[in-house]
Amino acid sequence: MGKQLGFLVDTEKCIGCFGCEMACKNEYQAEVKPRWRRVYQQKEGNLPYPERNFMSLACNHCADPACLKVCPVGAYSKREDGIVLHDHGRCIGCRLCTMACPYGAPQYNEKEGKVEKCQLCYQKIDRGEEPACVAACPVGALELIKDLASFPGPGTVKELPGFPDITITRPSVRFVPPRTGIQIRRDAE
Amino acid sequence: MAYQLSRRSFLKGLAAGGALTALTAYGGLKMAPTAAGVADGYPEAAAGARVFRNVCPRNCYDTCSMLSYVKDGILRKVSGDPANTFTNGRLCVKGYTYTRRVYSPDRLKYPMKQDKRGSGRWQRISWDEALDIIARKILDIKKQYGSTLPVCLNKYSGNFDILHYGIEGMMSSIGYTTRALGTPCWPAGIDAQTYDFGTLWNNDPEDLVNSRYIILWGVNPAWTSVHSMRFLYAAREKGAKLVVIDPVVTQTASKADLYLQIKPATDGALALGMARHILDNGWVDQEYLKANAVGWEEFFAYLRREVTLDWASKVTGIPAGVIADLAREYATTKPAAIWIGYGLQRHTNGGQNVRAIDALAAITGNVGKSGGGALYGHLETWGFNYAAMTMPKPAGALGVKKPDGTMSDRFININNFGAELLNVKDPPVKMLWIACRNPLSQDPEPQVVQKAFENMDLVVTVDHFLTRTAAWSDIVLPATTQFEEYGVNASYWHYWVGINEQAIEPYFEAKNDVQIAMLLSAKLNALEPGSCTYPTGGSLEELVGKEFNQKMLDLLGIADYRELKQGPRKAKLLTAAWSDGKFRTPSGKIEIKSSEAPKYGLPALPVYVPEKQAPPEYPYRFITPHWRHGLHSQFQNIDWMMNVSPEPFVEIHPATAAAKGIRDGDWVKIYNEIGYLTLKARITATTAPEILVAYEAWYKDLDYNLNYTVKAVPSDMGKKATGNRGLAFHDNFVNIEKVR
Repeated sequence: MGKQLGFLVDTEKCIGCFGCEMACKNEYQAEVKPRWRRVYQQKEGNLPYPERNFMSLACNHCADPACLKVCPVGAYSKREDGIVLHDHGRCIGCRLCTMACPYGAPQYNEKEGKVEKCQLCYQKIDRGEEPACVAACPVGALELIKDLASFPGPGTVKELPGFPDITITRPSVRFVPPRTGIQIRRDAE
Repeated sequence: MAYQLSRRSFLKGLAAGGALTALTAYGGLKMAPTAAGVADGYPEAAAGARVFRNVCPRNCYDTCSMLSYVKDGILRKVSGDPANTFTNGRLCVKGYTYTRRVYSPDRLKYPMKQDKRGSGRWQRISWDEALDIIARKILDIKKQYGSTLPVCLNKYSGNFDILHYGIEGMMSSIGYTTRALGTPCWPAGIDAQTYDFGTLWNNDPEDLVNSRYIILWGVNPAWTSVHSMRFLYAAREKGAKLVVIDPVVTQTASKADLYLQIKPATDGALALGMARHILDNGWVDQEYLKANAVGWEEFFAYLRREVTLDWASKVTGIPAGVIADLAREYATTKPAAIWIGYGLQRHTNGGQNVRAIDALAAITGNVGKSGGGALYGHLETWGFNYAAMTMPKPAGALGVKKPDGTMSDRFININNFGAELLNVKDPPVKMLWIACRNPLSQDPEPQVVQKAFENMDLVVTVDHFLTRTAAWSDIVLPATTQFEEYGVNASYWHYWVGINEQAIEPYFEAKNDVQIAMLLSAKLNALEPGSCTYPTGGSLEELVGKEFNQKMLDLLGIADYRELKQGPRKAKLLTAAWSDGKFRTPSGKIEIKSSEAPKYGLPALPVYVPEKQAPPEYPYRFITPHWRHGLHSQFQNIDWMMNVSPEPFVEIHPATAAAKGIRDGDWVKIYNEIGYLTLKARITATTAPEILVAYEAWYKDLDYNLNYTVKAVPSDMGKKATGNRGLAFHDNFVNIEKVR
């Protein structure tokens, strides 16, 4: 097995601007509805203060991809670098993968009658370029992890509140948790 | 190539033991996919495309340098241009939707005529017919009223490309006309900085990395200037503290080291309280003041006489100890920068509050320093020729007689457009030309603007979409996007200037504003020779060349404008504004006591002018800031944007929601004496109990316009530099009730 690629989602830096999500659409001129990358706002209750914090998530290119397990036609494969590829030509649109994935990564495209998902811009990776979402982030809150095994990454964690159970598929994503500033609020008791 | 590489990678993957185990365990190898099948489903949109340089011409701090990718005459994708070190090869959520704007099925394709205004009964007409109707109306008006003054132009910030000032030129070329004058956005702050420094001029925002202490005051760059965030973060990584002062916990506030929830419109009191504490503790930079400022002794006398920390605390709602700490940190951690946002000046005392903050920066010696400054905006890179705008009047043109015997256009206030249209007489306005503007959506009291439309013989709107204003017009003309035209753009924040190349042919029959002016000129002169002076030929690129003078070329370090085709250039300005000490006030110094302000009925000193209070029947302040997914009425209507941001909402504090029996997701009505709107409630403690927040935007197919509740209340300043006072958008008061 080669080195597993992954995403580092720095929720300390992330401003929830949705630039990554729209840059992904722009790169592939994707259909309107499927969201290969999606920016999720975290619940205020999960944070020390009422704040606007986000998680930007795409396919996590899991070590144990549930999509690959359940696909009846072998449309999924895992590359040496860990990218979970979906073969659009092979897909029959049965949607089993959309039910199996804890992260909602594979999504059904009604127009095509098939599923689609983030391919980690594998063509760009093969050319030595960054994925479109990473390249688009204005604040460096998204990074490509080149070797997940040797990435403890100081200050990074494997999960955050609201993120699905990572033991199911072992997602190739790490987070920098949000930072807590000081708020002087007028509604404080 | 992509096929070959990925195929090889996949095969290598099979040979590796770990991968084999992992894959066979799921049976994934039984039908090994071909890489071709993968690539077929996910083609890269810009493969094999030719690249052009563009600039995003929207009314935005960041004015992104863009690249457009064109193949077979189709815009395939867009990206940021890495040549610009401010925008750094990135766009924003809005910029990445451009292909969907250009090819939106909602885009206007042809000139159209509406049967009866607002009826929706549109009929496609030719450009010739449209221009014939318009030209004949102009000539009729001139015959009937003896001048073209009944023709009125309302044009502003929908496209800030310099060639688009050709619309003003078109108006000048037919005679003296009526003009909507002013700017709704930022004039109070402009005048404040004009009184204090002589004009507005911020440090290069890329210089923010050199700050050790940064106060983001009433500004939300995480939504409105995403590229600035990188420099703020870089400063923080070098040890700077980020402080956000705002009535609501904005996205930027959520990222701050310290957030202070100030009572709206009391920013001046905070600045003055800090100044008093700085004065009392001897943290004033006397040397700097002696060399660079006037009026500080009187300012200090005012502080000693009228300002205390306790007073500032009471007015602002921020504890006195917190103000003292902030003052100490700001005054003693140098260099310290303050970024003054446009939000905080959208009040009846907004300009005055900006002046108090300017004074704070001056007395601590933070003006004219790298890493310092009182940053608001600038126009230092806007010294173009405005050749497209500058047109002679036709012979015999009559206008408003000035005391010196010369004539001028007639100016009405852009910030009270509806009421002024209704009131203007001798002659009345009978024809409207609207371009780069959407007043029926974005003006305060759009219902009054709509009423004023009833008096018009002809309303012409030039736009990309059937906006609220276009829908209420007689004739709509389809405009090109920046990808379909030549142009040149500067920013009012960063120091870069870029050329905008035509990348694709115009969409259907869309035309650029200058081309429309040329066609109208030809039509007018065919009907009545000599009636219009606008040129009828010449390419847009030639006109771009005519916008450059030697000073602009020198500023950009180029000999010819065509060099910008190799990439945008950063102006050779001082990195730290005013570091030469050459202030442009009458005294040549920072005028903490302004010699000009009293001429406009304003205090000479940056004294506190009390904020507007809520009336008892409308106890909630309704703040309506810019929206993450749109820029005024642009972008939110695009399908990709509707997909991620499908509907508007109002942010309500949990305490207020509880008192009103409102739950998250309930429909609520927000209303005052002039109008109302209904929308969904979002309960969040990011706002304050007495503040409701909703974001201005134009959603596709949704009846949502919060400006129906916004009164045309003027801000305190703007008259001097922009011709009219600004708008106190955020001094708007409403009540709220649950609908269902």
